[in-house]
Amino acid sequence: MKDKTIRRILLFFLLISAILVIIAVQAVRNINRSAVSSDWVNHTHSVILEVEALRVAVYAGDGALHAYVLTGDTRDQAAFSEALSNVTEQVEITKALTRNEPAQHGQILQLESLVNLRAEFYRAVLAARQAGNGEKVHTLLAADAGRSALRDIRRKIDLLKNEELALLTERDTASYLQAQATRWTVWLGVALDVLLLGSVAWLIRDDLAARRRAAVAMQADNERLEARVQERTAELAAANARLSTENLEKQWANKALTHQLHYNQLIIDSIKDLVFVLTKGLRISRVNPAVVHLTGLEPAALINQPLARVVQLLTRHPAADAPLTDPIAQALKEGHDLRDQPALVEDKRGRKTPVRFTLFPLRDGDKVVGGIVTLQISPPGAETRP
Amino acid sequence: MKKHILVVDDEADIRDMLAQFLTANGYRVTAVASAGEALRIGKQELPDLIISDLQLEDADGLEMIAELKAARPDQLVILLTGVLFDPEVVSGVLARHISSYLEKTSSLARILETVNHLLSPPPAR
Repeated sequence: MKDKTIRRILLFFLLISAILVIIAVQAVRNINRSAVSSDWVNHTHSVILEVEALRVAVYAGDGALHAYVLTGDTRDQAAFSEALSNVTEQVEITKALTRNEPAQHGQILQLESLVNLRAEFYRAVLAARQAGNGEKVHTLLAADAGRSALRDIRRKIDLLKNEELALLTERDTASYLQAQATRWTVWLGVALDVLLLGSVAWLIRDDLAARRRAAVAMQADNERLEARVQERTAELAAANARLSTENLEKQWANKALTHQLHYNQLIIDSIKDLVFVLTKGLRISRVNPAVVHLTGLEPAALINQPLARVVQLLTRHPAADAPLTDPIAQALKEGHDLRDQPALVEDKRGRKTPVRFTLFPLRDGDKVVGGIVTLQISPPGAETRP
Repeated sequence: MKKHILVVDDEADIRDMLAQFLTANGYRVTAVASAGEALRIGKQELPDLIISDLQLEDADGLEMIAELKAARPDQLVILLTGVLFDPEVVSGVLARHISSYLEKTSSLARILETVNHLLSPPPAR
Protein backbone atom coordinates (compact mmCIF):
# COMPACT_ATOMS: atom_id res chain seq x y z
CA MET A 1 0.00 0.00 0.00
CA LYS A 2 2.82 2.38 0.87
CA ASP A 3 4.65 1.95 -2.44
CA LYS A 4 1.43 2.33 -4.41
CA THR A 5 0.58 5.62 -2.67
CA ILE A 6 4.08 6.98 -3.13
CA ARG A 7 3.95 6.08 -6.82
CA ARG A 8 0.62 7.86 -7.16
CA ILE A 9 1.88 10.97 -5.37
CA LEU A 10 5.00 11.03 -7.53
CA LEU A 11 2.84 10.70 -10.64
CA PHE A 12 0.67 13.59 -9.49
CA PHE A 13 3.71 15.76 -8.82
CA LEU A 14 5.10 14.89 -12.23
CA LEU A 15 1.82 15.97 -13.80
CA ILE A 16 1.80 19.20 -11.77
CA SER A 17 5.39 19.88 -12.79
CA ALA A 18 4.60 19.17 -16.46
CA ILE A 19 1.65 21.57 -16.35
CA LEU A 20 3.81 24.24 -14.72
CA VAL A 21 6.45 23.74 -17.43
CA ILE A 22 3.81 23.99 -20.15
CA ILE A 23 2.43 27.19 -18.60
CA ALA A 24 5.92 28.65 -18.31
CA VAL A 25 6.82 27.75 -21.91
CA GLN A 26 3.52 29.15 -23.17
CA ALA A 27 3.99 32.35 -21.17
CA VAL A 28 7.54 32.85 -22.42
CA ARG A 29 6.45 32.22 -25.99
CA ASN A 30 3.64 34.74 -25.66
CA ILE A 31 5.95 37.28 -24.07
CA ASN A 32 8.34 36.83 -27.00
CA ARG A 33 5.44 37.18 -29.44
CA SER A 34 4.26 40.29 -27.63
CA ALA A 35 7.75 41.77 -27.82
CA VAL A 36 7.88 41.00 -31.54
CA SER A 37 4.38 42.47 -32.02
CA SER A 38 5.37 45.54 -30.08
CA ASP A 39 8.44 46.02 -32.33
CA TRP A 40 6.29 45.52 -35.37
CA VAL A 41 3.69 48.01 -34.15
CA ASN A 42 6.39 50.59 -33.47
CA HIS A 43 7.84 49.92 -36.88
CA THR A 44 4.45 50.26 -38.55
CA HIS A 45 3.77 53.50 -36.71
CA SER A 46 7.18 54.73 -37.87
CA VAL A 47 6.31 53.86 -41.47
CA ILE A 48 2.98 55.69 -41.15
CA LEU A 49 4.67 58.73 -39.60
CA GLU A 50 7.38 58.80 -42.25
CA VAL A 51 4.81 58.45 -45.04
CA GLU A 52 2.81 61.32 -43.47
CA ALA A 53 6.02 63.33 -43.24
CA LEU A 54 6.60 62.58 -46.94
CA ARG A 55 3.14 63.86 -47.74
CA VAL A 56 3.82 67.03 -45.72
CA ALA A 57 7.18 67.48 -47.43
CA VAL A 58 5.63 67.06 -50.91
CA TYR A 59 2.88 69.58 -50.14
CA ALA A 60 5.44 71.96 -48.56
CA GLY A 61 7.62 71.70 -51.68
CA ASP A 62 4.59 72.26 -53.87
CA GLY A 63 3.59 75.41 -51.89
CA ALA A 64 7.17 76.75 -51.84
CA LEU A 65 7.49 76.27 -55.64
CA HIS A 66 4.26 78.13 -56.30
CA ALA A 67 5.32 80.93 -53.98
CA TYR A 68 8.68 81.25 -55.73
CA VAL A 69 6.92 81.28 -59.14
CA LEU A 70 4.74 84.14 -57.94
CA THR A 71 7.39 86.16 -56.05
CA GLY A 72 10.70 85.15 -57.59
CA ASP A 73 12.08 85.59 -54.10
CA THR A 74 15.24 83.64 -53.36
CA ARG A 75 13.98 82.76 -49.88
CA ASP A 76 11.05 80.94 -51.43
CA GLN A 77 13.50 79.23 -53.75
CA ALA A 78 15.55 78.14 -50.72
CA ALA A 79 12.39 76.92 -48.97
CA PHE A 80 11.51 74.93 -52.10
CA SER A 81 15.00 73.41 -52.28
CA GLU A 82 14.79 72.43 -48.60
CA ALA A 83 11.35 70.91 -49.09
CA LEU A 84 12.53 68.94 -52.11
CA SER A 85 15.51 67.73 -50.10
CA ASN A 86 13.14 66.63 -47.32
CA VAL A 87 11.02 64.75 -49.85
CA THR A 88 14.08 62.86 -51.07
CA GLU A 89 15.17 62.11 -47.50
CA GLN A 90 11.69 60.93 -46.46
CA VAL A 91 11.53 58.63 -49.48
CA GLU A 92 14.87 57.08 -48.53
CA ILE A 93 13.81 56.70 -44.89
CA THR A 94 10.55 55.04 -45.89
CA LYS A 95 12.35 52.71 -48.26
CA ALA A 96 14.79 51.77 -45.52
CA LEU A 97 11.94 51.08 -43.07
CA THR A 98 10.16 48.79 -45.51
CA ARG A 99 13.11 46.98 -47.05
CA ASN A 100 12.24 43.73 -45.16
CA GLU A 101 8.59 43.95 -46.18
CA PRO A 102 8.36 43.30 -49.90
CA ALA A 103 4.70 44.35 -50.34
CA GLN A 104 5.12 47.70 -48.60
CA HIS A 105 8.52 48.19 -50.14
CA GLY A 106 6.98 47.76 -53.61
CA GLN A 107 4.38 50.38 -52.89
CA ILE A 108 7.06 52.71 -51.55
CA LEU A 109 8.97 52.23 -54.83
CA GLN A 110 5.81 53.11 -56.75
CA LEU A 111 5.39 56.13 -54.50
CA GLU A 112 9.01 57.04 -55.12
CA SER A 113 8.36 56.97 -58.91
CA LEU A 114 5.40 59.32 -58.47
CA VAL A 115 7.45 61.58 -56.22
CA ASN A 116 10.37 61.58 -58.67
CA LEU A 117 8.02 62.52 -61.53
CA ARG A 118 6.65 65.32 -59.41
CA ALA A 119 10.16 66.44 -58.54
CA GLU A 120 11.05 66.52 -62.27
CA PHE A 121 8.01 68.71 -62.83
CA TYR A 122 9.10 71.03 -60.02
CA ARG A 123 12.62 71.27 -61.40
CA ALA A 124 11.27 72.08 -64.89
CA VAL A 125 9.05 74.88 -63.51
CA LEU A 126 11.95 76.14 -61.39
CA ALA A 127 14.29 76.18 -64.38
CA ALA A 128 11.72 78.07 -66.55
CA ARG A 129 11.13 80.64 -63.77
CA GLN A 130 14.81 81.16 -63.21
CA ALA A 131 15.22 81.61 -67.00
CA GLY A 132 12.39 84.24 -66.95
CA ASN A 133 10.39 82.13 -69.37
CA GLY A 134 6.96 83.08 -68.13
CA GLU A 135 5.18 81.42 -70.99
CA LYS A 136 6.77 78.04 -70.30
CA VAL A 137 6.04 78.41 -66.62
CA HIS A 138 2.48 79.19 -67.49
CA THR A 139 2.27 76.23 -69.84
CA LEU A 140 3.74 73.86 -67.28
CA LEU A 141 1.43 75.05 -64.51
CA ALA A 142 -1.55 74.97 -66.83
CA ALA A 143 -0.74 71.38 -67.63
CA ASP A 144 -0.68 70.64 -63.90
CA ALA A 145 -4.08 72.18 -63.34
CA GLY A 146 -5.93 70.15 -60.76
CA ARG A 147 -2.61 68.73 -59.51
CA SER A 148 -3.60 65.22 -60.53
CA ALA A 149 -0.05 63.96 -59.95
CA LEU A 150 -0.13 65.35 -56.42
CA ARG A 151 -3.48 63.67 -55.81
CA ASP A 152 -1.98 60.38 -57.04
CA ILE A 153 0.80 60.76 -54.51
CA ARG A 154 -1.71 61.55 -51.79
CA ARG A 155 -3.90 58.54 -52.73
CA LYS A 156 -0.87 56.30 -52.77
CA ILE A 157 0.15 57.54 -49.36
CA ASP A 158 -3.43 57.07 -48.07
CA LEU A 159 -3.54 53.57 -49.49
CA LEU A 160 -0.24 52.68 -47.91
CA LYS A 161 -1.29 54.22 -44.65
CA ASN A 162 -4.66 52.41 -44.69
CA GLU A 163 -2.94 49.11 -45.38
CA GLU A 164 -0.58 49.70 -42.48
CA LEU A 165 -3.50 50.61 -40.22
CA ALA A 166 -5.34 47.47 -41.34
CA LEU A 167 -2.28 45.42 -40.53
CA LEU A 168 -2.09 47.16 -37.17
CA THR A 169 -5.70 46.23 -36.48
CA GLU A 170 -5.07 42.66 -37.58
CA ARG A 171 -1.95 42.39 -35.41
CA ASP A 172 -3.79 43.93 -32.49
CA THR A 173 -6.53 41.33 -32.84
CA ALA A 174 -3.91 38.58 -33.01
CA SER A 175 -2.19 39.97 -29.90
CA TYR A 176 -5.48 40.08 -28.06
CA LEU A 177 -6.22 36.49 -29.01
CA GLN A 178 -2.73 35.46 -27.90
CA ALA A 179 -3.19 37.23 -24.60
CA GLN A 180 -6.54 35.49 -24.16
CA ALA A 181 -4.98 32.16 -24.99
CA THR A 182 -2.24 32.86 -22.47
CA ARG A 183 -4.81 33.75 -19.83
CA TRP A 184 -6.77 30.59 -20.50
CA THR A 185 -3.62 28.52 -20.49
CA VAL A 186 -2.48 30.00 -17.20
CA TRP A 187 -5.88 29.72 -15.53
CA LEU A 188 -6.47 26.23 -16.84
CA GLY A 189 -3.01 25.15 -15.71
CA VAL A 190 -3.50 26.71 -12.30
CA ALA A 191 -6.90 25.07 -11.99
CA LEU A 192 -5.46 21.70 -13.01
CA ASP A 193 -2.57 22.09 -10.58
CA VAL A 194 -4.95 23.02 -7.77
CA LEU A 195 -7.06 20.01 -8.67
CA LEU A 196 -4.01 17.75 -8.73
CA LEU A 197 -2.71 19.19 -5.46
CA GLY A 198 -6.13 18.58 -3.95
CA SER A 199 -6.00 15.01 -5.21
CA VAL A 200 -2.54 14.55 -3.72
CA ALA A 201 -3.75 15.96 -0.42
CA TRP A 202 -6.73 13.59 -0.53
CA LEU A 203 -4.43 10.68 -1.36
CA ILE A 204 -2.12 11.53 1.52
CA ARG A 205 -5.05 11.96 3.89
CA ASP A 206 -6.55 8.68 2.70
CA ASP A 207 -3.20 6.94 3.07
CA LEU A 208 -2.71 8.34 6.56
CA ALA A 209 -6.23 7.24 7.52
CA ALA A 210 -5.51 3.77 6.09
CA ARG A 211 -2.25 3.65 8.03
CA ARG A 212 -4.04 4.68 11.21
CA ARG A 213 -6.67 1.99 10.63
CA ALA A 214 -3.92 -0.55 9.90
CA ALA A 215 -2.05 0.50 13.04
CA VAL A 216 -5.21 0.18 15.15
CA ALA A 217 -5.96 -3.21 13.57
CA MET A 218 -2.38 -4.33 14.11
CA GLN A 219 -2.49 -3.20 17.73
CA ALA A 220 -5.76 -5.06 18.22
CA ASP A 221 -4.22 -8.14 16.59
CA ASN A 222 -1.17 -7.83 18.80
CA GLU A 223 -3.33 -7.50 21.89
CA ARG A 224 -5.38 -10.52 20.86
CA LEU A 225 -2.20 -12.45 20.13
CA GLU A 226 -0.67 -11.35 23.42
CA ALA A 227 -3.81 -12.41 25.28
CA ARG A 228 -3.79 -15.73 23.44
CA VAL A 229 -0.11 -16.22 24.23
CA GLN A 230 -0.71 -15.41 27.88
CA GLU A 231 -3.71 -17.71 27.95
CA ARG A 232 -1.73 -20.48 26.25
CA THR A 233 1.23 -19.87 28.53
CA ALA A 234 -1.04 -20.11 31.55
CA GLU A 235 -2.52 -23.33 30.18
CA LEU A 236 0.93 -24.75 29.56
CA ALA A 237 2.10 -23.64 33.00
CA ALA A 238 -0.96 -25.27 34.56
CA ALA A 239 -0.42 -28.43 32.51
CA ASN A 240 3.24 -28.43 33.45
CA ALA A 241 2.42 -27.96 37.11
CA ARG A 242 -0.16 -30.75 36.87
CA LEU A 243 2.33 -33.06 35.17
CA SER A 244 5.00 -32.17 37.71
CA THR A 245 2.60 -32.93 40.51
CA GLU A 246 1.56 -36.19 38.88
CA ASN A 247 5.18 -37.12 38.30
CA LEU A 248 6.08 -36.27 41.87
CA GLU A 249 3.06 -38.21 43.08
CA LYS A 250 4.20 -41.29 41.09
CA GLN A 251 7.73 -40.97 42.40
CA TRP A 252 6.35 -40.65 45.90
CA ALA A 253 4.11 -43.68 45.46
CA ASN A 254 7.02 -45.75 44.12
CA LYS A 255 9.27 -44.60 46.91
CA ALA A 256 6.63 -45.26 49.54
CA LEU A 257 5.97 -48.70 48.12
CA THR A 258 9.68 -49.49 47.98
CA HIS A 259 10.04 -48.25 51.52
CA GLN A 260 7.12 -50.36 52.68
CA LEU A 261 8.42 -53.47 50.90
CA HIS A 262 11.83 -52.89 52.40
CA TYR A 263 10.30 -52.51 55.83
CA ASN A 264 8.26 -55.68 55.42
CA GLN A 265 11.38 -57.49 54.24
CA LEU A 266 13.21 -56.22 57.28
CA ILE A 267 10.51 -57.63 59.52
CA ILE A 268 10.70 -61.08 57.94
CA ASP A 269 14.49 -61.05 57.72
CA SER A 270 14.77 -60.06 61.36
CA ILE A 271 12.91 -63.16 62.52
CA LYS A 272 15.37 -65.76 63.85
CA ASP A 273 12.93 -68.61 63.22
CA LEU A 274 13.04 -70.21 59.77
CA VAL A 275 10.25 -68.84 57.56
CA PHE A 276 9.08 -70.51 54.35
CA VAL A 277 6.37 -69.10 52.10
CA LEU A 278 4.65 -71.92 50.19
CA THR A 279 2.49 -72.14 47.15
CA LYS A 280 -0.69 -74.13 47.26
CA GLY A 281 1.33 -76.97 45.71
CA LEU A 282 3.66 -76.92 48.75
CA ARG A 283 6.58 -75.52 46.77
CA ILE A 284 8.85 -72.92 48.32
CA SER A 285 8.32 -69.40 46.95
CA ARG A 286 10.29 -67.39 49.51
CA VAL A 287 12.61 -67.96 52.49
CA ASN A 288 14.17 -65.72 55.12
CA PRO A 289 17.93 -65.49 55.88
CA ALA A 290 17.52 -67.89 58.84
CA VAL A 291 16.68 -70.68 56.38
CA VAL A 292 19.79 -69.92 54.31
CA HIS A 293 21.86 -69.80 57.47
CA LEU A 294 20.67 -73.18 58.79
CA THR A 295 20.47 -75.16 55.55
CA GLY A 296 23.50 -73.66 53.82
CA LEU A 297 21.39 -73.47 50.69
CA GLU A 298 21.01 -70.21 48.78
CA PRO A 299 17.46 -68.97 48.03
CA ALA A 300 17.97 -69.82 44.32
CA ALA A 301 18.48 -73.48 45.27
CA LEU A 302 15.33 -73.49 47.40
CA ILE A 303 12.84 -71.47 45.39
CA ASN A 304 10.28 -73.62 43.56
CA GLN A 305 11.52 -76.77 45.34
CA PRO A 306 9.06 -78.93 47.32
CA LEU A 307 9.11 -78.11 51.01
CA ALA A 308 9.64 -81.81 51.66
CA ARG A 309 13.14 -81.54 50.23
CA VAL A 310 14.39 -79.76 53.34
CA VAL A 311 11.60 -80.22 55.90
CA GLN A 312 10.25 -83.54 57.14
CA LEU A 313 7.21 -83.41 59.35
CA LEU A 314 7.42 -86.08 62.04
CA THR A 315 3.76 -87.03 62.04
CA ARG A 316 2.28 -89.76 64.19
CA HIS A 317 1.73 -93.08 62.51
CA PRO A 318 -1.83 -93.17 61.34
CA ALA A 319 -4.04 -96.10 62.19
CA ALA A 320 -3.59 -99.04 59.95
CA ASP A 321 -7.04 -98.61 58.44
CA ALA A 322 -6.77 -94.78 58.04
CA PRO A 323 -6.01 -93.27 54.59
CA LEU A 324 -2.48 -92.00 54.14
CA THR A 325 -2.65 -88.16 53.77
CA ASP A 326 -0.14 -85.29 53.90
CA PRO A 327 -1.06 -83.24 57.00
CA ILE A 328 0.35 -80.00 55.50
CA ALA A 329 -1.67 -80.31 52.28
CA GLN A 330 -4.66 -81.34 54.36
CA ALA A 331 -4.32 -78.26 56.62
CA LEU A 332 -4.01 -75.90 53.63
CA LYS A 333 -6.93 -77.54 51.90
CA GLU A 334 -9.07 -77.18 55.01
CA GLY A 335 -7.66 -73.74 55.76
CA HIS A 336 -6.54 -74.29 59.34
CA ASP A 337 -3.28 -73.88 61.19
CA LEU A 338 -0.93 -76.71 61.95
CA ARG A 339 0.88 -75.63 65.08
CA ASP A 340 3.97 -76.77 66.95
CA GLN A 341 4.57 -80.02 65.16
CA PRO A 342 7.93 -81.82 65.49
CA ALA A 343 9.96 -81.82 62.28
CA LEU A 344 13.49 -82.14 60.92
CA VAL A 345 15.34 -79.72 58.68
CA GLU A 346 18.00 -81.15 56.42
CA ASP A 347 20.95 -79.01 55.38
CA LYS A 348 22.95 -79.35 52.16
CA ARG A 349 25.32 -81.83 53.82
CA GLY A 350 22.47 -84.08 54.87
CA ARG A 351 22.60 -83.17 58.56
CA LYS A 352 19.19 -82.99 60.20
CA THR A 353 18.18 -80.45 62.82
CA PRO A 354 15.07 -80.94 64.98
CA VAL A 355 12.59 -78.05 64.84
CA ARG A 356 9.03 -77.22 65.87
CA PHE A 357 6.87 -76.83 62.78
CA THR A 358 3.98 -74.36 62.45
CA LEU A 359 1.89 -73.79 59.32
CA PHE A 360 -0.40 -70.79 58.74
CA PRO A 361 -2.63 -70.72 55.67
CA LEU A 362 -1.82 -67.66 53.53
CA ARG A 363 -5.14 -65.98 52.87
CA ASP A 364 -6.11 -63.43 50.25
CA GLY A 365 -9.55 -62.46 51.32
CA ASP A 366 -11.48 -65.69 51.82
CA LYS A 367 -9.19 -67.74 49.59
CA VAL A 368 -6.17 -69.75 50.71
CA VAL A 369 -3.46 -68.97 48.17
CA GLY A 370 -0.54 -70.68 49.93
CA GLY A 371 1.01 -71.13 53.32
CA ILE A 372 3.59 -69.77 55.71
CA VAL A 373 5.75 -72.21 57.59
CA THR A 374 7.80 -71.18 60.59
CA LEU A 375 10.37 -73.54 62.09
CA GLN A 376 11.61 -72.96 65.59
CA ILE A 377 14.83 -74.74 66.38
CA SER A 378 14.22 -77.18 69.19
CA PRO A 379 16.48 -76.95 72.19
CA PRO A 380 18.96 -79.81 72.58
CA GLY A 381 17.26 -82.98 73.92
CA ALA A 382 13.86 -81.86 72.91
CA GLU A 383 11.40 -84.41 71.73
CA THR A 384 11.68 -85.23 68.05
CA ARG A 385 8.82 -87.60 68.03
CA PRO A 386 5.22 -86.53 67.91
CA MET B 1 3.70 -14.74 54.77
CA LYS B 2 4.32 -18.36 53.95
CA LYS B 3 3.77 -20.96 56.63
CA HIS B 4 6.95 -22.74 57.74
CA ILE B 5 7.07 -26.53 57.74
CA LEU B 6 9.93 -28.60 59.16
CA VAL B 7 10.33 -31.97 57.42
CA VAL B 8 12.34 -34.61 59.32
CA ASP B 9 13.27 -37.84 57.55
CA ASP B 10 16.53 -39.76 57.28
CA GLU B 11 15.76 -40.84 53.71
CA ALA B 12 16.99 -38.16 51.34
CA ASP B 13 14.57 -39.07 48.52
CA ILE B 14 11.53 -38.90 50.78
CA ARG B 15 12.76 -35.66 52.33
CA ASP B 16 13.50 -33.98 49.00
CA MET B 17 10.26 -35.00 47.31
CA LEU B 18 8.16 -33.84 50.24
CA ALA B 19 10.03 -30.53 50.44
CA GLN B 20 9.65 -29.96 46.67
CA PHE B 21 5.95 -30.76 46.75
CA LEU B 22 5.13 -28.58 49.74
CA THR B 23 7.24 -25.71 48.37
CA ALA B 24 5.37 -25.93 45.05
CA ASN B 25 2.15 -25.67 47.03
CA GLY B 26 3.07 -22.41 48.74
CA TYR B 27 4.89 -23.40 51.93
CA ARG B 28 8.34 -22.53 53.18
CA VAL B 29 10.03 -25.82 53.93
CA THR B 30 13.12 -26.73 55.94
CA ALA B 31 14.13 -30.36 55.50
CA VAL B 32 16.55 -32.09 57.89
CA ALA B 33 17.78 -35.67 58.23
CA SER B 34 18.40 -36.02 61.98
CA ALA B 35 16.57 -35.52 65.24
CA GLY B 36 19.40 -33.28 66.47
CA GLU B 37 18.94 -30.82 63.62
CA ALA B 38 15.18 -31.01 63.99
CA LEU B 39 15.37 -30.17 67.72
CA ARG B 40 17.66 -27.21 67.03
CA ILE B 41 15.51 -25.73 64.27
CA GLY B 42 12.25 -26.61 66.01
CA LYS B 43 13.28 -24.67 69.09
CA GLN B 44 14.91 -21.74 67.27
CA GLU B 45 12.55 -21.08 64.39
CA LEU B 46 9.30 -22.39 65.87
CA PRO B 47 7.91 -23.86 62.64
CA ASP B 48 4.17 -23.85 62.09
CA LEU B 49 4.18 -27.58 61.45
CA ILE B 50 6.58 -30.53 61.83
CA ILE B 51 6.30 -33.56 59.58
CA SER B 52 8.47 -36.33 60.99
CA ASP B 53 9.32 -39.95 60.37
CA LEU B 54 9.19 -42.33 63.30
CA GLN B 55 12.48 -44.10 62.86
CA LEU B 56 15.42 -41.73 62.58
CA GLU B 57 19.05 -42.63 62.47
CA ASP B 58 20.08 -40.84 65.63
CA ALA B 59 16.91 -41.05 67.71
CA ASP B 60 13.35 -42.18 67.98
CA GLY B 61 11.00 -39.81 66.24
CA LEU B 62 8.40 -39.93 68.98
CA GLU B 63 10.98 -38.99 71.62
CA MET B 64 12.05 -36.02 69.52
CA ILE B 65 8.42 -34.97 69.10
CA ALA B 66 7.83 -35.31 72.82
CA GLU B 67 10.80 -33.02 73.54
CA LEU B 68 9.57 -30.41 71.09
CA LYS B 69 6.03 -30.60 72.47
CA ALA B 70 7.43 -30.13 75.95
CA ALA B 71 9.04 -26.89 74.81
CA ARG B 72 6.01 -25.83 72.79
CA PRO B 73 2.81 -27.67 73.70
CA ASP B 74 0.76 -26.27 70.80
CA GLN B 75 3.29 -27.42 68.20
CA LEU B 76 1.49 -29.06 65.26
CA VAL B 77 3.00 -32.42 64.26
CA ILE B 78 2.27 -34.95 61.55
CA LEU B 79 3.79 -38.40 62.01
CA LEU B 80 4.58 -39.75 58.55
CA THR B 81 5.90 -43.30 58.80
CA GLY B 82 6.02 -46.64 57.09
CA VAL B 83 5.54 -48.37 60.42
CA LEU B 84 1.93 -49.42 60.48
CA PHE B 85 0.17 -48.72 63.73
CA ASP B 86 -2.99 -50.19 65.00
CA PRO B 87 -5.72 -47.52 64.85
CA GLU B 88 -6.29 -47.90 68.58
CA VAL B 89 -2.62 -47.13 69.23
CA VAL B 90 -2.86 -44.04 67.08
CA SER B 91 -5.99 -42.71 68.75
CA GLY B 92 -4.96 -43.71 72.23
CA VAL B 93 -1.24 -43.35 72.68
CA LEU B 94 -0.01 -41.18 69.82
CA ALA B 95 -2.81 -38.62 69.94
CA ARG B 96 -1.16 -36.96 72.93
CA HIS B 97 1.96 -36.24 70.92
CA ILE B 98 0.90 -35.72 67.34
CA SER B 99 -1.77 -33.80 65.45
CA SER B 100 -2.15 -36.35 62.68
CA TYR B 101 -0.82 -39.74 61.63
CA LEU B 102 -0.15 -40.60 57.98
CA GLU B 103 1.28 -43.74 56.46
CA LYS B 104 4.05 -43.22 53.94
CA THR B 105 1.92 -44.98 51.38
CA SER B 106 -0.48 -42.04 51.58
CA SER B 107 -0.57 -39.97 48.40
CA LEU B 108 0.98 -36.53 48.28
CA ALA B 109 -2.50 -35.11 47.70
CA ARG B 110 -3.64 -36.72 50.95
CA ILE B 111 -0.61 -35.32 52.76
CA LEU B 112 -1.27 -31.83 51.35
CA GLU B 113 -4.90 -32.07 52.36
CA THR B 114 -3.86 -32.87 55.95
CA VAL B 115 -1.28 -30.06 55.96
CA ASN B 116 -3.78 -27.54 54.60
CA HIS B 117 -6.33 -28.65 57.14
CA LEU B 118 -3.92 -28.23 60.06
CA LEU B 119 -2.51 -24.90 58.88
CA SER B 120 -5.70 -23.28 57.64
CA PRO B 121 -6.72 -20.29 59.76
CA PRO B 122 -9.78 -20.81 61.95
CA PRO B 123 -12.98 -19.40 60.43
CA ALA B 124 -13.71 -15.79 61.40
CA ARG B 125 -16.45 -15.38 63.94
